[in-house]
Amino acid sequence: MTATTDTGAAGRPAAPAPDPAPGPGAPPRDPGALRAALLAGAAALSALAIAWCTTVGTAGVGLADVAHAVRISLFGGTVTTEFERAYGIVTDLRLPRALLAFTAGAALSVSGAVMQGLLRNPLVSPFTLGVSPAAAFGAASVILLTGGAAGSSSWPVIGGALAAALAVSAVVLGLASAKSMATATLLLLGIALTQLFEALTAALQFLADENTLQAIVRWTFGSVNDAGWQEVRVVGVVALAALPVLLWFAKDLNAVAFAGDDAARSLGVNVNALRVGLIALAVVLASVVVSFCGVIGFVGLVGPHIARLAIGADHRFLLPFSFLSGGLLLLAADTVGRTVIAPSVVPVGIVVAFVGAPVFINLIMARRAAA
Amino acid sequence: MSGLDVTGVRFGYRRRPVLEGVDLSVAQGAFCALLGPNGSGKSTLTKVIARILKPAAGTVSFGGRDLLRMPRREHAKVVSYVPQSSAAPFELTVREAVMLGRTPHTGLRPSARDRSVVEAAIDRLGLGAFAVRRLSELSGGQAQRVLIARALAQEPRVLLLDEPTSALDLRYQIETLQIVRSVTREEGVTALIAIHDLDHAAHFCDQAVLLSGGRIVADGPPARAFDAAVLSDVYGLQVRVEHRGGGVEVRPAALDGASGE
Repeated sequence: MTATTDTGAAGRPAAPAPDPAPGPGAPPRDPGALRAALLAGAAALSALAIAWCTTVGTAGVGLADVAHAVRISLFGGTVTTEFERAYGIVTDLRLPRALLAFTAGAALSVSGAVMQGLLRNPLVSPFTLGVSPAAAFGAASVILLTGGAAGSSSWPVIGGALAAALAVSAVVLGLASAKSMATATLLLLGIALTQLFEALTAALQFLADENTLQAIVRWTFGSVNDAGWQEVRVVGVVALAALPVLLWFAKDLNAVAFAGDDAARSLGVNVNALRVGLIALAVVLASVVVSFCGVIGFVGLVGPHIARLAIGADHRFLLPFSFLSGGLLLLAADTVGRTVIAPSVVPVGIVVAFVGAPVFINLIMARRAAA
Repeated sequence: MSGLDVTGVRFGYRRRPVLEGVDLSVAQGAFCALLGPNGSGKSTLTKVIARILKPAAGTVSFGGRDLLRMPRREHAKVVSYVPQSSAAPFELTVREAVMLGRTPHTGLRPSARDRSVVEAAIDRLGLGAFAVRRLSELSGGQAQRVLIARALAQEPRVLLLDEPTSALDLRYQIETLQIVRSVTREEGVTALIAIHDLDHAAHFCDQAVLLSGGRIVADGPPARAFDAAVLSDVYGLQVRVEHRGGGVEVRPAALDGASGE
């Protein structure tokens, strides 16, 4: 065969550009610089917000007190008797609470951004695969078995919730890999398992007595009321450890999210391995948060959406920004929850649903208009 | 041979065979058309070469290197693929979409070279005025150009196109084929296009490969590969092949008004 057969087209001028390009020296801007600045600004805002939310509450504690307390606990120093009360409020109550709200929101939001990208659907959340009903079932089982003796934030309950959530995710991923991780398969399996575990939890509630029932129901209200440094440490470490791993794969995640499975494969991405690995990571993030804080909906859905509006869809920037936007969202919701009818505290899961549902509805309606 | 070599490739979905032992050679820098009726295996063959589908048997090599055994990322530096269409569920600018073509090359963040390759691909496809537009604002023809720009930004040695012109109007069809042809002429890229229009294939391509039922039934320069009897049999429609100058045209006999049976 020959590559030189003249079919009559050789020697034609190259395709004329039908649309006038801008001047020859079109500025090849680097949009990364602007986005990096935006990211740094959001990080600074987050630190300020955590400090400020620590001052909000009935007992008067100022920003200076917070700064002083943090300085003492980090670098040592003596707590004077007149500062003792403020120091205790900051370090034992408000700071762990603010940090747990922030890290839990951050973990859920990053998890949501990863799931939305991998499943190529902006309406999925970290709980799409049935993580939260499974965790609720795990927690309810332990509460029932101990006859309500285990408090809703005790380690056996947390362990039961975590084990159930991870087991369910493993089952979903295992079943879906038989169908080469097709997105529709994952979504449908998630729906099926959500229904199943909601029925199982309802069955447990049917068997439970009054006190146990109350403990089960209280677990499902997502809250950070029992925040302590132990919880902050676990959730914070998991969230901060996941972030660099996710950023490393952000480029491949971009290929899958924006080009689709087939084109991503032709771009050199091992799509099946990427999907299993990153979904597993996203599910671990969500499971840990659910186990410690209960079911907090909408943050994993709305956090990435806010981030996408602010910084664009590129996952190299979207993932860290989702971390911050989700953290800020949950921190703000918790601060509202503990001030709106103070001294009573509204669980953060309830507050965030009031904010999240309208945003989510708006998101669906806007999509319909665009389609 | 230093071009693209496909030998003994078989592929099937479950028990339905789609490719039944395909052997094909395309010289380096040649523009080859894959022709045949719907379901003949054109798209499947491009997807096997693009490593989207894994063949049950057979080898694919380029310049003597086994394309099916090298790491995926290395393969993506040699072969790029233009799908028929692509719907992104998220808002992306044209420049970001073309940058995806750098995926196998770039590290954590795009280098200056990545950016200049992307700008060159955008200019080549005449998308300069749209670089910061969102994909959803583009017409079908412009969106198809973005996919081609993405494939060129990948700096491939082999460019695969899966029916890129099927949904385009005449002007975009011709311009797409002109662009691909100029890429083969100017950069020595080997191009393989799955396409329906026999006359376009005859006009722009160096080699025409006719598939039927997963087998190759004709292969060669279009003027030689297009045989009235073979084409009539493959498409189940009587056609006449007319040689005009250096070119060749295929015309359904039913349109002649002389075929009343």
